[in-house]
Amino acid sequence: MRLGRFIAWLVVGVVALFYVVPMIAMTRFAFQRIPVIKLSLGNVFDKWTVAPLFESFTESEFRSSATLSLMLAVATALLTLVLLVPTMAIAHLRSPRMRRLIELSATLPFVVPAIALVVGFAGTFRETLPILIRSSFGLVPLYVVTALPFTHRTIENGLAALDLRTLVNASRSLGASWTRTMIFVIAPNIRASIATASFLAFTVVLGEFTIASLLLKNTLPLYLAYAQGRNPQGAFAVGIVLIIVSTIFVALSNRLGKVVRA
Amino acid sequence: MASSLGQRTRHLAFLPYAVFLFIFLIWPGLYVFRQALNQSAGERNPMIEAVTGQYRSSFIFSLQLSFISSAIGLVIGSAVAIAIMQLADVRGLRNILVGYSSVAANMGGIPLAFAFLAAFGMQGLATRLLKEINIDIIGWGFKISDFWGIVLVYLYFQIPLMTLVLVPALDGLRRTWAEAAQSLGATVSQYWRFIALPILTPAILGGFLLLVANAFAAYATAYALSSGGSKLVPVQIRFFLQGETITGKSNLGYALAAWMVIITAMLVAGFQVMTRRAERWRQ
Amino acid sequence: MTKQHITSNKNIGFGSRFRSLAALALVGALALSACGSDDEATDDTVAEEVTTDVASDVCPSQEIVDAAVAEAKVNLIALPDNWANYKGILASFREKHPEIENPVANPDASSADELVAVETLAGQETQPDALDVSPAIAQEVDSKDLWEPYKPCTWDEIPDFLKDADGKWVAAYYGIMAIGTNTTVVKTAPESFADLAKPEYKGLVSLNGDPREAGSAFNAVVAASLANGGSFDDIMPGIQYFADLKASGNLAGTDVTEASVIAGETPIWLDWTYNYPGLAPKLVENGITWAIRVPTDGVHGGYYAQGVVKGGPNNNAAKLWIEHIVSDEGALGYLEGGAIPARFEALVAAGKVSEEAKANLPAPELIAQIKFPTQDQIAKMKEALATNWGPMVADK
Repeated sequence: MRLGRFIAWLVVGVVALFYVVPMIAMTRFAFQRIPVIKLSLGNVFDKWTVAPLFESFTESEFRSSATLSLMLAVATALLTLVLLVPTMAIAHLRSPRMRRLIELSATLPFVVPAIALVVGFAGTFRETLPILIRSSFGLVPLYVVTALPFTHRTIENGLAALDLRTLVNASRSLGASWTRTMIFVIAPNIRASIATASFLAFTVVLGEFTIASLLLKNTLPLYLAYAQGRNPQGAFAVGIVLIIVSTIFVALSNRLGKVVRA
Repeated sequence: MASSLGQRTRHLAFLPYAVFLFIFLIWPGLYVFRQALNQSAGERNPMIEAVTGQYRSSFIFSLQLSFISSAIGLVIGSAVAIAIMQLADVRGLRNILVGYSSVAANMGGIPLAFAFLAAFGMQGLATRLLKEINIDIIGWGFKISDFWGIVLVYLYFQIPLMTLVLVPALDGLRRTWAEAAQSLGATVSQYWRFIALPILTPAILGGFLLLVANAFAAYATAYALSSGGSKLVPVQIRFFLQGETITGKSNLGYALAAWMVIITAMLVAGFQVMTRRAERWRQ
Repeated sequence: MTKQHITSNKNIGFGSRFRSLAALALVGALALSACGSDDEATDDTVAEEVTTDVASDVCPSQEIVDAAVAEAKVNLIALPDNWANYKGILASFREKHPEIENPVANPDASSADELVAVETLAGQETQPDALDVSPAIAQEVDSKDLWEPYKPCTWDEIPDFLKDADGKWVAAYYGIMAIGTNTTVVKTAPESFADLAKPEYKGLVSLNGDPREAGSAFNAVVAASLANGGSFDDIMPGIQYFADLKASGNLAGTDVTEASVIAGETPIWLDWTYNYPGLAPKLVENGITWAIRVPTDGVHGGYYAQGVVKGGPNNNAAKLWIEHIVSDEGALGYLEGGAIPARFEALVAAGKVSEEAKANLPAPELIAQIKFPTQDQIAKMKEALATNWGPMVADK
């Protein structure tokens, strides 16, 4: 399989290059105070500064918005899993029709514009449950909806790859209840999907802008967007750091939850 | 198959999801249609106007961009996913790639557009470096703000997205099947053609659908990159619903959104038909 | 307010971090000549709405001031630090009224976003109390009956074309459309719309947004129209101008942001005069030189409208905010940001405008030339733009 491995490395190498080049350009822009047109071999190492990072990280607005976004991300991931995994597992087992309906419903959030979501949301809850609009955590259900296309697809693929019926039958015939089956049999077998879905929910929340801006909540993406206008080099510096940190975080979490293949 | 769930319980199980979706997606979605069908006196029906003239071109352009970027993203993203499985023994490779893919799949808008400008724009770093070795991409007519430039930038999140949805599916392809096939004398290509691909087809098709819908609804990146991005339907919607210049035409904006919903629903339905055929084989 | 952009940053103003000592001194000196308050006995501090008596010579009335202090906050929206020096104006408000907070939500919001926020958050304590919106959106706010009429103390000194007759809004500042050039990348700065069409500027000219969405870009088209034989009743020459500019390849696709200006990707762009001073520190830091020119063939000014939101949670504090932006301190704050305050004439006559403050402004002859279109004219121009910009310019 030597050819196979060589091709695999080639693919990974080219794609990695594609991923990395724009990031390098952005990093250089963020940390070096020389316009490209004036760059030459002579001054390649001049005027680098890490000041923008420190300015940004010490701003209290950054910390409060980052904390809020992190909490929202965790809540969104949790709610997504609780809502999707049991529902989809049962759909896979019992009702192909529901499965298709869920697929359809999970792709729709792409095309319902954020502003419609917000206006509908605010209109519905303004009189009945204003706390949902007042509290920043009112964003969570909207974020679950926004992340739905991604999270659904990952879990769907994971479930489809299993022989779900056999697994569940085996578990049930051994006397396990539905809940136990769900938690101890199904979930571990779609560990990769659950992990990926959580990460996608996470990154969706850390990148979502329109809904938060319309409801005037101070999330991290809003802070970054504003910082980009006020101080682009600083904002991109923070952005790059966030990208690196998120990547490492996901990579490490993956390692911890990795399914050991026999 | 022992049906330990009665009919009623079965449907009850879907209730939380259904209720949740109704409140937070369907109801606001209906708002879109209500507004879209709201016709002011003396104007054409917004639903009809939304698919004529310049708006029809917008839909065609949006769909072109979506399908092309998704097709390329499908191929490359799948290649990466397979490569990851091939190189599963390389420590940390899978984790780093999956990690970065999670982040890249959600990148977009101004940061991503700017990163590409910073790299490949007129004053881009890569542009400049290439010029030093006498490769003048700008002179050749390459513009990051052209159609293919936008496709390139879209690939930045399309490829990782495809990779992400395919890797868990590949995990499900059990090693035992590959070994069994091998011991039965099947070649690698036979293994892929008759065992792996049919099993993976739903996942691949589903991934492609996700990519298309993702690209179809995306706008921030293209808009930040290029005024040509303003041809995209979501950008037009934003002009109507959130812009400063055009006021009082929000019905047209909602009509455009309504058509996007309809088109996406049709796409999903189409894919489900194709998937059912593929799955039938599997049974 | 403005900056229209899809995700976020719209305009290109940078963090305006300079506050000249002169301005500080002026503020201090002028504080003494600010509207004095009466010594009336104050009401019990209940945050009630107090009606304004326009004819009163007590300004602003003690009731309003006390009620505002009781409210202790005014919810503002869409006021970026580097747009016409709002950073300075917000700070001078806090100096004048230390008990009243003035947080700004969603600084990069567009005018339309502001209206959405007002409607979505009706009845909530986070609903914006005062707005700063484009003329078109001001009209929409009016049609939804969301303005609370309030005539500030200095009402009479504001020219008629910069205020609503019924007191629903004032235009505290305006600017002129100008051409900015990154002279590190482009050696000779264009001086007029005619210049922009020259072949040497191929691929270098950008608008700050799409005119169908962004106030700044829309007004650039109006200015181009004026330069090419059009008028406030006819925007087609402007659209044709940009269609030609795109056909010749001069009009680049890239959108203008602070980042793209620093990176040199958008070396020539059109924007309001008050959006340039904020850029200065960043450009200097990166070793970039620049030039700002008001086009000689098309002088066009634009204002933004500010007013109190009807039924807002902190109605009286909002009134004090409006007072502040048209007061001397507010006006000088706008001047520092390169915008022309509404009461410019009155301030110059009273000798309150220093030479330094005038430095950021275009020449007086240019200011004198400015006229503003009526709401009807604006509406018609927008119709024409919405119908024609796509097929003629954007989709080509």
